[in-house]
Amino acid sequence: MIVLDTLLLVPRNLGLAILMVYRRLISPLYGDVCRYYPSCSAYTLGSIQQRGLLLGSLRGAIRIVRCNPWAAGGIDDVPPKIHFRYTLTTHGFVVATTQRKV
Amino acid sequence: MDFLGTILWPLKWVVELLLVGWHWLLTSFGMDSGAGLTWVLSIVGLVLVVRTALIPLFVKQIKNQRRMMEVAPQLKKIQDKYKGKRDQLSREAMSRETMALYKNTGTNPLGSCLPLLVQMPIFFSLFSVLNGAQNSKAGVGPLNATLAKEFGEAKLFGNAPLHASFQSAMNDPAGPQTIVMVIAAIMVVIMTASQFITQLQIVSKNMSDETKASPMFRQQRILLYILPFVFLFSGFAFPLGVMFYWLTTNIWTMVQQFLIIRSMPMPGSEAAREREARLARKGKLEPKKEADTIVIEERKPAQRQQPMGKNRAKKAGAPQQPGSSAQPNKNDPQSGNGSSNNSPRK
Repeated sequence: MIVLDTLLLVPRNLGLAILMVYRRLISPLYGDVCRYYPSCSAYTLGSIQQRGLLLGSLRGAIRIVRCNPWAAGGIDDVPPKIHFRYTLTTHGFVVATTQRKV
Repeated sequence: MDFLGTILWPLKWVVELLLVGWHWLLTSFGMDSGAGLTWVLSIVGLVLVVRTALIPLFVKQIKNQRRMMEVAPQLKKIQDKYKGKRDQLSREAMSRETMALYKNTGTNPLGSCLPLLVQMPIFFSLFSVLNGAQNSKAGVGPLNATLAKEFGEAKLFGNAPLHASFQSAMNDPAGPQTIVMVIAAIMVVIMTASQFITQLQIVSKNMSDETKASPMFRQQRILLYILPFVFLFSGFAFPLGVMFYWLTTNIWTMVQQFLIIRSMPMPGSEAAREREARLARKGKLEPKKEADTIVIEERKPAQRQQPMGKNRAKKAGAPQQPGSSAQPNKNDPQSGNGSSNNSPRK
């Protein structure tokens, strides 16, 4: 079961890795830009952690469209997934839990 | 790829229209239709149109930054609350509170993420237009087969076609095309330099001391010196035509950034202090304050508040750095709306 879960989590973790590299290397070039907290890339990161690569990226894309010059901005946290069944490592990657919550 | 092509189709159409439009304009002024210079100037024209269209966004942002002075006292309160706290949790809490303040007061000074992405599709469109032109393939709209061929074949200095890149010139079956390689190399260097200067301006001058105090800052500075090399190598694969777009838009950004940082620096940054010093040296700082006061007095008969505000501003301003002292001044209680509208105009 853990093996299957870990396999399922591969795309998500790959996406997270790419985003982390972006946040480390490219994002600082722009300085502070985002009108929201957390920033668009942090929001996308969180969404992918919670919902996987496809749905998370989609949410991130919608957020970027929302982050336009006419937006009021402000606090806009990632909506948490209610039945989140994985664990986050300290680096922000998603791993399968050894003991499934009942 | 096809999916991307469908999304980019409208943009590609507009890019072609602008290119062909400028080309038509330039040839009707008597320039040679197939000359490299004509097409390069068409690309420059494309940049001018795109960047001019983006100016309102920057104006809006600048206006928002000015309105930020109204909330300076509240902002300072938040900053004082987290003064000296460098751990991540405090910094996050601070950003959170700052953002909430911006939203509640409608004074968000930040630019927003979407415009950063606007350039990218244009870049891709131009790339695919040029790539197609390389094979004399007609564009999706105004760029017909004849023009596409002309565009791709247009040569700079007699022997450097716009569709060629450093890489393609190096691997040319007829031997390396030195002229293309030299032009491409020079452009990559200028491009990298302009990019570097733009970033350096932001990092060294237009970041508030709060940002500079964050642990991320040192890392950002290191990146500043590494990234030009990344551009240096990635730039070699782009066709000359695309590079001209990139170069022109970079230079535009650099100048725009310079003007903005000079005239409207981020409050609390080094550029803001320099601006104060510059104004003080010219003796413009004092009269400006007086002018402000006069305007406010004319607008609002609430004179009793004025001496109060001035005193307060002096008290608040004296022990601080000159950069931040301007904020409380322009932010006299109650008259904030009136003064912020007038203060930018000297």
